[in-house]
Amino acid sequence: MTAITLANRDGKTFEVNPKRPILESLRDQGVDLPFGCKYGGCITCAAKLISGKVDQNRQVALNNRQINNGYIILCVARPLTDITIEIGVESHNQLYRNPFLDPLKPHELKADIATLKEE
Amino acid sequence: MECCGPGYSSPSEAIKAPREKLLYTISIYTGTGIQKPDYLATIDVDPKSETFSQVIHRLEMPGIGDELHHMGWNACSSCFDDGSMSRKYLLLPGVRSNNIHIVDTATDPRTPSLYKVINGADIKSKTNLSGPHTVHCLGSEIIISMLGDAKGEAPGGYLHLNKDFEIQGRWENSMGNIKFGYDFWYQPRHNIMVSSEWAAPNTFMPGFDLEEVGHLKYGREIHFWDFEKREPIETMYLGEDGLLPLEVKFHHDPDSSHGFCGAALSSNVIHWWKDKNEKWQWEKIIDVENAPHPEWPLPVPGVMSAILISMDDKYLYLNNWLHGDMRQYDISDPHDPKLTGQVWMGGLLGKAPIVNGVKIAGGPQMFQLSLDGKRLYVTTSLFSTWDNQFYPEIRERGGVMVMIDCDPIHGGMSLNKDFIVDFGKEPNGPSRCHEARYPGGDCTSDIWL
Repeated sequence: MTAITLANRDGKTFEVNPKRPILESLRDQGVDLPFGCKYGGCITCAAKLISGKVDQNRQVALNNRQINNGYIILCVARPLTDITIEIGVESHNQLYRNPFLDPLKPHELKADIATLKEE
Repeated sequence: MECCGPGYSSPSEAIKAPREKLLYTISIYTGTGIQKPDYLATIDVDPKSETFSQVIHRLEMPGIGDELHHMGWNACSSCFDDGSMSRKYLLLPGVRSNNIHIVDTATDPRTPSLYKVINGADIKSKTNLSGPHTVHCLGSEIIISMLGDAKGEAPGGYLHLNKDFEIQGRWENSMGNIKFGYDFWYQPRHNIMVSSEWAAPNTFMPGFDLEEVGHLKYGREIHFWDFEKREPIETMYLGEDGLLPLEVKFHHDPDSSHGFCGAALSSNVIHWWKDKNEKWQWEKIIDVENAPHPEWPLPVPGVMSAILISMDDKYLYLNNWLHGDMRQYDISDPHDPKLTGQVWMGGLLGKAPIVNGVKIAGGPQMFQLSLDGKRLYVTTSLFSTWDNQFYPEIRERGGVMVMIDCDPIHGGMSLNKDFIVDFGKEPNGPSRCHEARYPGGDCTSDIWL
């Protein structure tokens, strides 16, 4: 089992099966979480990873800037270690941006079209 | 012509229908931070009623996270001759969940009830489709444009339901070289369907990355279909004039070949028609210029996310969601539209931040016109993630619905001072209203065979 700590729910911790998506595990234990498509494509269930590691290879919704800001897609992400996350829209402060005011750099696009960052 | 099926024998008969007294709009909690289901709101639009301009009923969906968006009827005037059909059910697809909710609006129009849910997972497993958008009935059957495959990749296709709402499979025989799906409309006397392009669900659902337009992740083409053969026959490449071609509408007159598309990001109206040599032609007829913004480095595009044609085919209505204006054009000559009305409500340019005492978050977005062309009901939310990017304050304020009085004889439009529905004050917290429909059919539902 792996421990998931919710930083913005008084640090409450849940033991989960690391093979299952985090959304499913937490909802089964009564945590009220937003979600939409349940296949990693729509961003509704995004949460912010504060510490630890997850496997979210199946997500296709996040661009590289959102990933660099720590966002994970709970409906497909699985914990690789014990993790601490912030959940709900309170964690979405860096998730949404006005695309005209704050453009993405080429390396910040979604993985399939991003260029490598120039060092 | 007297008959027994739903709707009206012609657009001119539809115009004479009694005034609408009720209106349905979906309203969402998906993406708002409020953990409640999206719902169908019934609005009282009878000025003689004590509850005029209020939500009088809310039908919650069974689950959360659907993102209800557009709706469609089980039957329309295309079944006017069919006494076995009636306009009883409204279909409410969830763009994110893939569930399609069938709502009975006829048993008690003021308090619609859930009749059936077509499970989103079943649709995926039987048709490999997801992301339901536009619903049109097709005689007695129903087709729904689906913007992605089961994994949210483009181009998706068309879900075919029978009149009992059973999945029949894919409607189309081929998607040809079509890259994306969105809206569609058909004109049977010309055996033609036209479809437009937004993007793959995996592209637009998380929000709008402007850079992805340049990477060809968003559409810029419209497609003409052989309606009977159910396959695309011709593509119009609109290029920079037609970025994000969203809503498509034919004239209501079933003999007309003229139709229109609003290109959202280019903020242009594209007009198409069949010429004397039976060739389909297109031209740009309206070009909304980008507007300077005091705090933005770049001028702001209008973002024309919807268009609507009045039942007499005389006026085209369009919105500029980011600018904040609704416009009315006289399209008596569809090659040469004339601006005849404009109303400001919300938007980013600060022209009308407060309407009838309500501070507006968002801009004019979806709208529905009365059959007589005199009342235009306008809502302010586009799509949860896109709202959150452009109008983050909509989380606290919710959406609104306003009414614009329109003059169908001389042109012109003005805000109705007696009507506003503030979805910021909903019992479960601020929600966001979107598409609206009337029980008796409306200006975006009926097609004549």
